[in-house]
Amino acid sequence: MYNSSKISIAITCAIALLFSAAALAGPKTSYGLGVTPTKEEIALWDIDVRPDGQGLPIGKGSAIEGEAMYEAKCASCHGSFGEGEGRWPPLAGGENTLKDDRPEKTVGSYWPYASTLWDYINRAMPFPAPKTLTVHEVYAITAYVLYLNDLIEDDYVLTQDNLAQVKMPNQDNFYADDRPDTHNTRCMNNCKKPKDIVIVQSLRGITPEQEEEQEQGAAKVEEKAKPTLSKNALAGEAPYKQSCFVCHGSGIADAPRTGDKNAWASRLKQGTPMLIKHAIEGYIGDAGVMPPKGGNMNLTDEQVTAAVHYMLEQN
Amino acid sequence: MSKNKISGKAYLAELANNVPSNARRNFLKQGVKFSTGLVAAVASNEAISGNSTALDVPSWSKSLGSGVVSTPYGIPSKFEKNVIRRTVPWLTADKISSISMSPIQELKGIITPNGLVFERYHAGSPTVDPEQHRLMIHGLVDNPLMFTMDDLMRFPSESVIHFLECPANGGMEWRGPQMEALQFTHGMVSCCEWTGVRLSTLLDEVGLKSKAKWVLAEGADGAGMSRSIPLDKALDDALIVYAQNGEMLRPEQGYPVRLFNPGWEGNTSVKWLRRLEIGDKPWHHREETSKYTDLMPDGRARRFTYEQEANSVITSPCPENPWGSRGSYQIEGIAWSGRGKIKQVDISLDGGVSWRPTKLKGLVLSKALTRFSLPYSWDGAPALLQSRAIDETGYVQPTLSQLRKVRGTNTIYHKNSIHTWQLLSDGKVKNVQLK
Repeated sequence: MYNSSKISIAITCAIALLFSAAALAGPKTSYGLGVTPTKEEIALWDIDVRPDGQGLPIGKGSAIEGEAMYEAKCASCHGSFGEGEGRWPPLAGGENTLKDDRPEKTVGSYWPYASTLWDYINRAMPFPAPKTLTVHEVYAITAYVLYLNDLIEDDYVLTQDNLAQVKMPNQDNFYADDRPDTHNTRCMNNCKKPKDIVIVQSLRGITPEQEEEQEQGAAKVEEKAKPTLSKNALAGEAPYKQSCFVCHGSGIADAPRTGDKNAWASRLKQGTPMLIKHAIEGYIGDAGVMPPKGGNMNLTDEQVTAAVHYMLEQN
Repeated sequence: MSKNKISGKAYLAELANNVPSNARRNFLKQGVKFSTGLVAAVASNEAISGNSTALDVPSWSKSLGSGVVSTPYGIPSKFEKNVIRRTVPWLTADKISSISMSPIQELKGIITPNGLVFERYHAGSPTVDPEQHRLMIHGLVDNPLMFTMDDLMRFPSESVIHFLECPANGGMEWRGPQMEALQFTHGMVSCCEWTGVRLSTLLDEVGLKSKAKWVLAEGADGAGMSRSIPLDKALDDALIVYAQNGEMLRPEQGYPVRLFNPGWEGNTSVKWLRRLEIGDKPWHHREETSKYTDLMPDGRARRFTYEQEANSVITSPCPENPWGSRGSYQIEGIAWSGRGKIKQVDISLDGGVSWRPTKLKGLVLSKALTRFSLPYSWDGAPALLQSRAIDETGYVQPTLSQLRKVRGTNTIYHKNSIHTWQLLSDGKVKNVQLK
C-alpha cells in the first residue's frame, strides 16, 4: 500500500510536469466527492428506453399473453378496451381527431413512439404499484395496448429487436418549439375601438368552494376517527393508501367508496371473509371489477386483509 | 390621471351598448347594485366612527401571550386560515396525480412561503429518506459518479430567486372564462429562493464525452418522472437544488434534492431527483410526448416547449379581493418571464383601449416574480382591468385573441395571454374574457 501510493505520487508528479502548461490553462481540480458506481450498479437504475430501442432489456411478449395481465392490472382505470374509466386516460381510439374541436389524444392517435409506452409502463404503471411488473409483463401489456390500437396483430411477439420498428401513426406530426409565435406591440392609446369590445362571462357553478372551514372540518373528522380503529385496521392504513385508495377513494370502476355505508352494506351481506377472499384473489361482479390485491401483487395477504378492515371501519 | 376618469354611469352606459343582451341585463342589474352598495358603504363608515369597541383596550393588551417555542416550528396567525393551497377537484381523476394552486391573491412581495408553493405530483409526494437517497450521473461521461446528500452539500452552493410555474397555469380558460378566483386562474406559479449546486459543476466532475447533447433527469417518485433536457440548459443555469427559502426542500418540492431549470416549465425541474443520464438524443418519454406537448389547430404538435413566456396578472383587485368604498387604492399585480427580467408592465382600465405604465416595485430579478403597482383613486366607475408585461427581450404579452389565432384552443399549455377582470360598480370583480 505504502509503496503503491508512493509510485502513484511519482506518476502524478510526472504527469503534472508534462502537462503543467495545460494545467495552467484551465482544467479544474476535482472535488473528489462521490463514488464511482460499478456497471452492475448503474444497470440496476438505468431503466430508460429511447425510440431507437436503446435501453430495452432482452425479453418478449404478445397481446395474447398480455390480455389477462391488462384485464387484471390496467382495465380498472383504463377500461377493458382502452376506453378509460371516469377521468383516467383512455389508451385507444381517437384516430383522426387531432384537428377536431374535442381531440382524443390516445396512444394510437397521438403518441409518437412505441418505446414511450414500454418505458412508461415499466417505470410508472400500474398506478398504485409502479415498478412491480416483470420484463415479460411489460412487453406483453405493451403489445396488448398496441393491439387495442390496431397497430399490431394479437399474435405478434414484441421483442427488444422489433419494438423500435413499430411505426406510430402520429410520429411525424411533432415539431420543435418555434415560439415566440405572437407579436404584440406596446400600444398606449386608441389601441382598439371601445364599441368592438364584447365581454364573455364565466360559466356559473364550476369554481370550487373556497370556504376553508369545510376542508378543516373534514380533516378534523378524519383525525377523530383514527383512535377508534382496531389494531388490524390501523395496520391496513398504509396498504390502503398505497393500493386501494385510487379506486375506493374515488369510486372508479364502480368500486364501493370508502365511507359509503350503503355501497358496502350490500357487499357485506356475503360476509367479511368472502370480501377478503375477493380482495386477495380478485373478483368480477355485476357492478365493478376488483383486481387481485388491487393490482399490487407485492402486498401480502395479511396486508390486504388489514386494508379491508381499514375500509370497513371507515363506515 | 383625473383627466382619464369618466363617470361610472356614463361608462356603464357605454359598455352596456357593446355587450350581448344577457350580459347587458347583468350590467344593468349591477348598476342597481351600485347605488345600494354606496349606501351600505356610507352607513358602515358611520358605524365605525360611532362605535367605541375598536378603541377599548383589548384583552390581549391586558394579559400574557404564549411563551417561546409554544410552536417550535411557527405557524401563521389563526386569522390567516384562509391562506391555503387549493385544488380544482374535477380537473384530475384523483389527488395523487394532480395539482394545487398557490393563494397568490393573498401573497405580498415576490417570495412564496414554503407551505404555499403550488404542488404538482405525478404519483403523489413520496417520503424520501435523505440518508438512503443517492444521485447518480452516468451515460456519455468519462467517470460516472454517485453522490450522497452530504456529498452534494460539500460542493460550492449558490442561492437564486426564480419563479416556478406549471405550463398548464391558466390552461382551464383556453375556451372561455371558467374560474371566479385568481387562485384558480393563475395560482400554478410560485417564487422562491433556491439553493444548490450548479449542474455544470457536477457535469465537470463526471467529464462529458464529445457526443453528449442531452440529459435525462429522473425522479425517485412512483412515476419515475423523467424529462429530456438539452445539454445547453444544463451547462447554462440549471441547478441541483436542496433548499428553498432558507430551509431544506419541502417534500412537496422534491426533498431532499431536485433539478431546477430557471424560467422553464415546472415539470422539467424534476423533483426527488435520483438520476441524470447523459446521452446524444432526447428520450421522448411520456411526459414530453403524450403530455407537455402543445397540440396546434393543424393537428400537429409542438414539443420541448420549455420556456415560460412573459405573463402578468392583477392580484388586487381580483375576485377574492374586491374593492369596498370609493377612494384610494393600489392596483397591484405580479409579472414574470422565463426569458429574463420584466422591463415594464402597463395597466388598462378600459379593456385595452388605452394603457398607462406602472411602477415596478422592490426586486426586479431575471426569471422571478416581479411586482408592479399603480395608485388609483376609484370613483365607483366599473372597469375592465388588464395588465400587460414586457420582458427584457422586448416580447410583449399577447392578447387572448392573438394567442388563439395561432394556437387555437386545444394546446392546454402555455396560456400567457393578457387577463381581464371586470370591476363592477359595487367593487366586486368578475373573471371575463374580451372578444
